[in-house]
Amino acid sequence: MCECCSGHPDIYLPQMATITKRRMLNGTELFLHLEMDSGQDLRYKPGQFVEVSLAGIGEAPISISSSPTQKGLELVVRNVGSLTKAIHKLQVGDKLGIRGPYGTTYPIEEAKGKDLVFICGGIGLVPQRSFIRYALDHRNDYGKIIVLIGTKCYSMRLFREEIALWQERKDMTVLETIDEAHDCWDGNVGVVTTLIPKIENELPGSLVLICGPPIMYKFVLISLAEAQVPEENIYVNLERRMKCGVGKCGHCQINDKYVCQDGPVFRYSDLALVPEAI
Amino acid sequence: MSKPRVAIFDFACCEGCQLQIVNLEEEILDLIHVVDVVEWREAMSEQSHDYDIAIVEGSITRHEDELRLEVIRSRCKILIALGACATIGGVNKMKNNFDLNDVKECVYGKDAKMPHLNTDMTKAVDEVVPVDAYIHGCPIDRKEFGTVIRALLLGKRPPVPDYPVCVECKAKENVCRYEYNEICLGPIIRAGCGARCPSSNFRCFGCRGYVDHPNVEAAKEVMDKYGLTVEDLKQKMILFGSKQGHTL
Amino acid sequence: MSVLKFTPKQFDDFVSAMLKTGRPVMAPQAKNGRFAFGPLASPADLRLDYDVTILPPKKYVLPQVETLLEFEVCGPCRSVQEGQPMILLGVHPYDLTAILQMDELFRQGQYDKHYMDRRCQITIIALDVVTPSANVFASSMGTATVRSGYDILLTVLKDGSILADVATAKGQELIRLAGSVVPASEADLKARKDVWEHNNAALNKHILLCKPSLLPKILEQNYNHPVWEEKARLCYSCGSCNQVCPTCYCFDVQDRVNWDLKTGHRFRCWDGCLLENFATVAGNHNFRKDRAARYRHRLYRKGKYVPEKIGGQIACVGCGRCISACTAKIANPVEVYNRLLQDTKLG
Ligand SMILES: Cc1cc2nc3c(=O)[nH]c(=O)nc-3n(C[C@H](O)[C@H](O)[C@H](O)COP(=O)(O)OP(=O)(O)OC[C@H]3O[C@@H](n4cnc5c(N)ncnc54)[C@H](O)[C@@H]3O)c2cc1C
Ligand code: SF4
Ligand code: SF4
Ligand code: SF4
Ligand code: SF4
Ligand code: SF4
Ligand code: FES
Repeated sequence: MCECCSGHPDIYLPQMATITKRRMLNGTELFLHLEMDSGQDLRYKPGQFVEVSLAGIGEAPISISSSPTQKGLELVVRNVGSLTKAIHKLQVGDKLGIRGPYGTTYPIEEAKGKDLVFICGGIGLVPQRSFIRYALDHRNDYGKIIVLIGTKCYSMRLFREEIALWQERKDMTVLETIDEAHDCWDGNVGVVTTLIPKIENELPGSLVLICGPPIMYKFVLISLAEAQVPEENIYVNLERRMKCGVGKCGHCQINDKYVCQDGPVFRYSDLALVPEAI
Repeated sequence: MSKPRVAIFDFACCEGCQLQIVNLEEEILDLIHVVDVVEWREAMSEQSHDYDIAIVEGSITRHEDELRLEVIRSRCKILIALGACATIGGVNKMKNNFDLNDVKECVYGKDAKMPHLNTDMTKAVDEVVPVDAYIHGCPIDRKEFGTVIRALLLGKRPPVPDYPVCVECKAKENVCRYEYNEICLGPIIRAGCGARCPSSNFRCFGCRGYVDHPNVEAAKEVMDKYGLTVEDLKQKMILFGSKQGHTL
Repeated sequence: MSVLKFTPKQFDDFVSAMLKTGRPVMAPQAKNGRFAFGPLASPADLRLDYDVTILPPKKYVLPQVETLLEFEVCGPCRSVQEGQPMILLGVHPYDLTAILQMDELFRQGQYDKHYMDRRCQITIIALDVVTPSANVFASSMGTATVRSGYDILLTVLKDGSILADVATAKGQELIRLAGSVVPASEADLKARKDVWEHNNAALNKHILLCKPSLLPKILEQNYNHPVWEEKARLCYSCGSCNQVCPTCYCFDVQDRVNWDLKTGHRFRCWDGCLLENFATVAGNHNFRKDRAARYRHRLYRKGKYVPEKIGGQIACVGCGRCISACTAKIANPVEVYNRLLQDTKLG
């Protein structure tokens, strides 16, 4: 073994964590609460993600949904492929490998004193929830908190109880919509952009944080441009194919940016010369 | 946990791919350590209707075969197409390029009128029933057979390459057949064989079928550049390239 | 440090002595009418006159397949370091430049122990080019010769003698095996300078019409240039241009399980941004779906993105391998860059 390598940890080696709670949020999304076996909390910030692995099945990037103000680590996993399917079969007490946290964070410091508008599409609520909870736990540090949530259909809605609690709070505004009408739903129907006019007055001066499926960004950004929100005030949380999570494998690149290192949270004005981003 | 039950069936083919399984040698012991083989005409006399995984070899050329395959499909949870005949129709598909009566006469001569020799257009297995996993090649690659089976046993999508043979050929550091002014189908054929043919100084003739989106236009122009015509290429690939959708 | 002079016989003895140490010596040898790096068995197989190898020596610093971890299925993992001491003999300056770039990329940011551990155990004996290959353009890229980064640099002089420039402690340790060789004379050093001057101009089968340092600027202005579509129309997405490139280092990571279904290993293997599904995620959404966009990405990586990461050095070292490897004959970076240059107004 040569001297120059000693002391460096293996960046590809997962640490074990144990599932302490699990429940299905809907038909395809599983909520997990994990504790690191080392007993030490991961030191993460809202917006970051971890590489989750089940040895033998594979590894995938998953956003952190909890806030560092709470204990443990919360993830939401959608069943879409080999690894995510296997994770769905796990029970309380089972173990997962965790690497990270990786990536950029929401602008928790810069946002102090400012109003926050979260625009969330589908599973995009998952990472946004980290910052929403963080801001609620530091409520005096931030101005207004407005959360817009769009979901494809009624049965896919995430974190229903938590959203209901948020809606009861006087110190935040939560608007929800679903794309397709449903008998049990008397709220807004339409895509998430249809909520934007309702809060238009709040947009100037707010920081707007967006996360959702690839197609959503285009439309939301057009609405925000119409509302004249400066690009410096907009943050997007992007998803790409990932393998290493540490800026080596090249899979997550959008032009010269690495989503795993320079993102996933980007200030929109930094993406002006990154045509592959949106 | 009881072991998954596996049955192996053959349709129109040379049974060469099953032979590859027999030839697994030590690995066959590993295999039967993790699965119960309940039916396999080539290696045992038992038969069973109760199985989880069906491995189907061969292409489908007769109506009775279609019915038999549908029954197999209804009995298994996972259906694996084994070998080029099953995955893409294989050599048997060659006859689709010709009039079927001509084929029959050519093969069987004056016996061609016998009713049991009536066959239809050759179909790959997935032209008849849904297929869960493919083990490509003519014959299959033994190593890949193991990899696919183990992935399926773990509930994983098998890691079958979606890129062309050139990737593996380059990784093996072969001299490209084009450098000898030979045509090779590597750039449009699915990898996974470890570039078996170019590694033995022979062109790839396409036994694993096309990649998902082969650039056929490019192939035509490249042939031109090498002073070869599409007809030349057709001669070269007719063995496996017949009526797979992307035929040049 | 010092420059020594070998006669061909003395050099063979030196190679034999290296082989006797038992350390694997990887060196260029003939393969089916071309050349390839491989384990050397005897000095007679060594081809100091090779033009270019089919694959670059990157296969020793970043192997095609490399185990990262061993594991129990759904259980804990153990880090695996596969590196072993090795002598890489006969590395051309452009390939050395590529390895040095890769060193920086795997070192910077998150330190890649697997790469670095392997790399640290390799001693590099570089070699000035004797025979230019059919498509080399290292002179255009400023990589035809090197002044650092090697442990030993060999230069074959016209009279057949071989100069060895020993630059590091690792090199020093090896050269001890050489027995008694004489130091190079002033005249020898002059002869070596001539080789360098010659190579700095002659390794240029395709001529880049600008300084490489202008490439980032040129690319910046030509993202939507028609050349991307024109070239990519014939692209097979076969990734050959990635595979043979000494500066490509993208990889895939996969798990493989043993027959017991209880143990296995996680490995990384070469990948390439030209391959169709390089950026495809679950649900079949492909973030770089157009051939042209993939084709463009490679040339931007080489000319702009990687240079920005490593302090300006262009990540095409002019080895010409992609030109030869591309069966569609569209991968030539010089052709594309010159074409863009033509259509660019530089302020
Ligand atoms: C920054 C980031 C945060 C994410 N957060 C979440 C989350 O909170 N919850 C959630 O359910 N999903 C999230 N995803 C998507 C999730 O990573 C994929 O759904 C997952 O990789 C699919 O893996 P699989 O093995 O089940 O699917 P397969 O289709 O079998 O994928 C095989 C491999 O391809 C790669 N891959 C496939 N899809 C994606 C993808 N969408 N993004 C990145 N790599 C991919 C991975 O390396 C994966 O292991 C996130 C992705 C990114 C990039
Ligand atoms: S020999 Fe065939 S498979 Fe190999 S690189 Fe050349 S074209 Fe591709
Ligand atoms: S090289 Fe081509 S023909 Fe040969 S085994 Fe592979 S896919 Fe089949
Ligand atoms: S080698 Fe040529 S054909 Fe193949 S991916 Fe590269 S540019 Fe396209
Ligand atoms: S881009 Fe081509 S010429 Fe440049 S270093 Fe890579 S393989 Fe060599
Ligand atoms: S992004 Fe493409 S060009 Fe760059 S290193 Fe990876 S494969 Fe090579
Ligand atoms: S995920 Fe590997 S570089 Fe970003």
